[in-house]
Amino acid sequence: MTRNNLLLLALFVVLAFVPQIFTDGYVRHLFIIAFIYAIIASNWNLSLGHCGIFNFGHMTFFGIGVYTAAILTKTAGVNPWLAIPACAVTAAISAVIMAAPVARLKGIYVVLVTFAVNQLMVQLVLSQADLTGGAKGLVRLPFLTIGDYSFIRDYKLGYYYLALILLALSTAFLILVAGSPFGKSLKAVRDAEDYATARGISVARTRISVLVLSAIFTGIAGGFYTVYLRVASPEVFGFGTMSLVLSMVLIGGINSVLGPVIAALALTFASEAMAGIGGFEDARYIVIAVAMILVLRLAPGGLIQILERLAPTGQKPATPTRSPA
Amino acid sequence: MNDTILEVVDASKHFAGLKAVNGVSFGVTRGEILGIAGPNGSGKSTLFNLITGVPFGPTSGEIRFQGQRIDRWPAHRIARAGLARTFQKDAEFPDLTADETLLICGTYNGQLGRVAARTRSDEVLGLVGFADTRRGIPSRNLSVYEKKQLMIASGLMSRPAVLMLDEPASGLTKPEIENLDRLLVAVNASGVTVLLIEHVLSLLLSISQRLIVLNQGSVLAEGNPAEVVRNEAVITAYLGGRKQ
Ligand SMILES: Nc1ncnc2c1ncn2[C@@H]1O[C@H](COP(=O)(O)OP(=O)(O)OP(=O)(O)O)[C@@H](O)[C@H]1O
Ligand SMILES: [Mg+2]
Repeated sequence: MTRNNLLLLALFVVLAFVPQIFTDGYVRHLFIIAFIYAIIASNWNLSLGHCGIFNFGHMTFFGIGVYTAAILTKTAGVNPWLAIPACAVTAAISAVIMAAPVARLKGIYVVLVTFAVNQLMVQLVLSQADLTGGAKGLVRLPFLTIGDYSFIRDYKLGYYYLALILLALSTAFLILVAGSPFGKSLKAVRDAEDYATARGISVARTRISVLVLSAIFTGIAGGFYTVYLRVASPEVFGFGTMSLVLSMVLIGGINSVLGPVIAALALTFASEAMAGIGGFEDARYIVIAVAMILVLRLAPGGLIQILERLAPTGQKPATPTRSPA
Repeated sequence: MNDTILEVVDASKHFAGLKAVNGVSFGVTRGEILGIAGPNGSGKSTLFNLITGVPFGPTSGEIRFQGQRIDRWPAHRIARAGLARTFQKDAEFPDLTADETLLICGTYNGQLGRVAARTRSDEVLGLVGFADTRRGIPSRNLSVYEKKQLMIASGLMSRPAVLMLDEPASGLTKPEIENLDRLLVAVNASGVTVLLIEHVLSLLLSISQRLIVLNQGSVLAEGNPAEVVRNEAVITAYLGGRKQ
């Protein structure tokens, strides 16, 4: 087990005890949101960081999850417990559709196409108001329950643990993927496309696969998010959420699994704390942007790199500049 | 039994008017070491590109490999079929260690499982003389020679039928070139057909059994290496090429 994985394990153990310390619903709510952001950011990092795909449509997968769960539970009357995993399927399918053009494009064109797909989804949601509720969205979705027990009780205790379990599953999944030959091939394709091709790796297939894999837990996170908040609105595709999550990826460190998870937790609370300061509601985004630029300038490997510098071990780190988790 | 393993038939690659490779035809005999020489810009690397499809195939013409037409195949499929090439410029997967590099090459090119890939890695690293102590270091931190060793080793992971090397000796010291010389002979002795582009003529002359000289995208001379280098046209092309 690597040191980063041990760190992660320790983090999850601590998080498992958080509800015993913070018994009010508000702090727990912040953690739940942070866990959701952590899932989105770390999965986005799989395509953006590990494979170097400038995918600006990652929030599409999240939004697909949101609307899949909302429509299934509200309109079709499907049990939320079934609707949430169904989001993995719909998000993965949307990833295949988005990947088809992206697989063979390069650089700025990937940005344009993926961004366009995201905008297309907004238009689709707005135009299909009968199904999606249009700009108003879908509200009052059914509660998540087990038997007679509603998850809204006990100050969101049930939601907290479900979110934590989803984050743990997603993280385990990402560590498994990153450690596999496929995970290594992502970095090969990112850094030396021709060399990788000359060694039997299909660049197109790798890109499609990584987009699909990164969509799975992102879709599930979307499904959980909408079931938790009991609303679905087109804002989830918006630029604001996207730039916040992107800063989590970049500040966390694009080459690791752990980095974006930690950055998501830190930024969610930092952003919330700043919102509490009068007149700072909008300025906080500037602060986050400045933090992002500083981290990128001072430690391009992200927070995870700074952490590694602070806690040197006897063993030399695998990479001097960037380190895989 | 047909012992022409690779056949290039009237192959061309044109870049907007520039005929980088122009109507080149030749066959490669199974088991031989074929040297390819020619002045700078004569189309040697482009020839390798269009044979392997990395990053492009020929504009026109045919490439046949073990009896199959491969010139319209996707490049990764050509590699999997058994044509392994190296690159003239340093190429490495900077974040991956030698072990990781060989693991993915074994997985995707050789369809090897982890255990089989590990066994094969030991073999190919031993063959190229890559130090065991350097296996866990990210490739970005390897020396030029080590990167070249790894690039050749990674090509050998899948037991290719043909190994194509693009100026492997450039940037190497004399003893390193001698090692390379021995390595290529050993690889060839194990049954691998070798295509070798090289500027260092001594290496070409010492190990190739046949030599092709390209000039301005076309085959200028072909045959016994010692005879080819005495060819008037070849001498002129080389001297003329340098003066330009
Ligand atoms: N991708 C490309 N686009 C445009 N022109 C190219 C491209 N690749 C090669 N050329 C041109 O094709 C010609 C042949 O180049 P090539 O690299 O094949 O020569 P070479 O024989 O390998 O030379 P060297 O000995 O310098 O490596 C050159 O004039 C080169 O500028
Ligand atoms: Mg060349």
